[in-house]
Amino acid sequence: MTSTPPSSADTPTAVTTRSGWGRRLVDSLSRYGFVIVFFAFVVFFAVRADAFLNPSNLVNILEGNAVLLIAALAMTLVVASGGIDLSIGIAIDFGGWFAIIAMRDYNLTWASALLVGLLAGAAVGTLNAALVVRLKISPFLATLGTFFIGSSVQQIYTSGGGQVPFREMSESFRSLSTGAVLGIPTEIVLAGTVGLLYFVLLERSVHGKRIHAIGLQRSVASVSGIRVSGYLVFVFIFASATVALSGIILTAGLRQFTPLSGFSYLLDSIAAVFIGASMHPQRRPNVAGTLVGVLFLGVVSNGLNLMGLDFNLRDALEGIILVGALALAFTNRNNRAAEVSI
Amino acid sequence: MKATSLLEGAGSALEMETVSKTFPGVRALDRANLSVSRGEVHGLVGENGAGKSTIIKILAGVYRADAGKVNVDGAPLEKIDPASVHRLGVRFIHQEISLVPHFSVAESVFLGQEQTGKFGTAKRLMRQRAEAFLTETLGVELDGRALVRDLSVAERKLVQIARALIDGQAKLVVFDEPTAVLAAAEVQTLFAAIDALRQAGKSMLYVSHYLNEIHQICDRVTVFRNGTDVGVMNLRQSQEPQVGVPEIIRLMVGRDIDDLYPQRQHTKRKQKALEVTDLDDGQRLRGVSLTVGAGEVVGLTGIIGSGRAELVDSLYGLRKIRSGQILVNEEPAKANSPARAVRSGLALVPRDRRNDGLVLDMTVADNVNLATLEEVSTLGWLNRAAASRRGDESMERLDVRPRGSQAVSRLLSGGNQQKVVLGRWLASQARVYVLDDPTVGVDVGARSEIYRLIADLAQAGAGVLMCSNDPAELLGMCDRILVIVRGRIIADIVAAETDLEQLTALATGGAEAT
Repeated sequence: MTSTPPSSADTPTAVTTRSGWGRRLVDSLSRYGFVIVFFAFVVFFAVRADAFLNPSNLVNILEGNAVLLIAALAMTLVVASGGIDLSIGIAIDFGGWFAIIAMRDYNLTWASALLVGLLAGAAVGTLNAALVVRLKISPFLATLGTFFIGSSVQQIYTSGGGQVPFREMSESFRSLSTGAVLGIPTEIVLAGTVGLLYFVLLERSVHGKRIHAIGLQRSVASVSGIRVSGYLVFVFIFASATVALSGIILTAGLRQFTPLSGFSYLLDSIAAVFIGASMHPQRRPNVAGTLVGVLFLGVVSNGLNLMGLDFNLRDALEGIILVGALALAFTNRNNRAAEVSI
Repeated sequence: MKATSLLEGAGSALEMETVSKTFPGVRALDRANLSVSRGEVHGLVGENGAGKSTIIKILAGVYRADAGKVNVDGAPLEKIDPASVHRLGVRFIHQEISLVPHFSVAESVFLGQEQTGKFGTAKRLMRQRAEAFLTETLGVELDGRALVRDLSVAERKLVQIARALIDGQAKLVVFDEPTAVLAAAEVQTLFAAIDALRQAGKSMLYVSHYLNEIHQICDRVTVFRNGTDVGVMNLRQSQEPQVGVPEIIRLMVGRDIDDLYPQRQHTKRKQKALEVTDLDDGQRLRGVSLTVGAGEVVGLTGIIGSGRAELVDSLYGLRKIRSGQILVNEEPAKANSPARAVRSGLALVPRDRRNDGLVLDMTVADNVNLATLEEVSTLGWLNRAAASRRGDESMERLDVRPRGSQAVSRLLSGGNQQKVVLGRWLASQARVYVLDDPTVGVDVGARSEIYRLIADLAQAGAGVLMCSNDPAELLGMCDRILVIVRGRIIADIVAAETDLEQLTALATGGAEAT
């Protein structure tokens, strides 16, 4: 062992100690920061807007965000695999559009129309997969390309973005949006089912484990014998088919298809995924986190709405709240001792 | 033993006294001392987790010490941050090479310290200076315009060193495992450079697992164990008793390691585990043929650029091959993707553990099970209890520390991470193990355990192709050793009939195969 240092006259180096529990507190604050902010907002809105905690309003929030949840789940899958999908708007549009065409122009039953819509979404995903896996274009650029192509296709065939109405759609198809199962709105049931499916797929199945491995460290997944290309193809196609369901629900509710309307879900779903990732100990995209992210966005938007704020101000506030909460969640990330020993 | 006795005379370039640092759950440093005299090359050794890296990171201003003091060049350092340490002339050659892939050699060398002329940055001047420095001080010919991404790992290392030293202000240079990526010949080039720097009066702190290197290059060495310094040894003065590598090991490990390499009984089997015939990739590999018998450990060595890396990549399915055949278990294997290679019965332990070996942000159990997930699942549903049990069993068997299969792999030390990578394949039915530098950056204790593991694999009938830069390791472990030079296997020798000198000479082209 060592002897004591020779003299104590020298000035000691800067020493700041953050004790164990203090660090842990900061750690869990950063990890659960979003959940805390989330509940703070729930309390705040409950106090400031009487209607907020009204059961019907809460159901409204869930119903209003079911479509976003489905899109965000698909985005979670893609981000978990290490990519991103900027073309989910296109898959949303194609899903609803082709379902309407199937019913209106080809007199298909509602179930067949649903299938056609999903396949249309899958086709968008197939293009993404081909670009990413075959041509090795980065997911960001590949899906951006798909987005541009898909947008143009819609404009061409809808004479510059005209709506495609179908008032006579069957009640069964319409009930995908407006119906209820055992008293629960169908939209919520569908979103819940997709959520459960994604949870099992991504968090409980072998395939989810492999997809996470691909996203976290692709070369490792590869030399471990995982068929990386195969999984990426699956991820892009499955995600696009999933968001097509969002589009089908949207058209069922509106009894019409509005071109390029899916785009508005892109940024919200990305935000929800990263909010969710901020809550994971390894900052990994995850299904439960995405659910919290979607609810957070929904609650903030709904609460600000109920408080009767200026429409123009609302977007800015939403942005500030989102950035603030994310900053809280991520500030401590870099301070954490990532490597304890080498 | 204490550093203070050496302070007279030359004075200290660096003094770190009673430095402590605690991470959540880990006491990384416990009143550790480290002192480097002016103009000396000072070694720092210790097993993984002994606190070497932590004390280096404290000096670098990456971590802040909980307690202790630091003097650089005789002056106490009040606040340690990267900028102030740099100002005092302390330069770090980190183990990880952080260079921008798309920058040229010259740009990389002068990154953040660009030379300016009349018209902005003086590109030509920088290129000339970078090339001159690399040639004269480091003894390597590199085109200043070459892109970093096109360089070999060893060349990148040299660029990294050039970058730290080109401004001529360096007083204390800290090398963290500088030779981990270098081939034997290049190690000598580096040592020549270090010697030149020593002549120029620079002080150096040399952190390495390679005790032979420490013994060769360092004047003194400080040994760390369990977060503190357990001794300083003088390696230069001819004092009694003479300090050798075994003495360093004893102090480092706290016990004797009698035989680093396990005794192996090689029983010759007829079956060939791996047979490669006339492998050609049209570039680096020109008709490589080799066989690895079942139960056999075959070594493969070759300097950087010899085609060794390309051969391994081809076996992994990472490299397109133009002609030739690979047989695994006497059945043809398609080597066009790692997934195929694995399914045909190969187990791949890559060289770059942190990038290719482990998913660092996944748990140990996940990493162990990654190649064999279907065995802990039913119809795709992951049986998490079984997966975690297998992780635990594997950690127990491999003696991975700290225990706990739910720990994030990033937190393990290098040696333990490597055990986890090996653990992944022990669970599989692989018949051929392709190990690429399996003990790089692994301390002596863990290394002997990994060797034992490899011996066990061979004993169980697997064929092992062990690629390594360390001839001593190949001599200790292998039945046969292959030497690859310029894309051809030039020698296939029985390990017992050769020695270190011959191997090195063969690999560097200094001798003909006998």
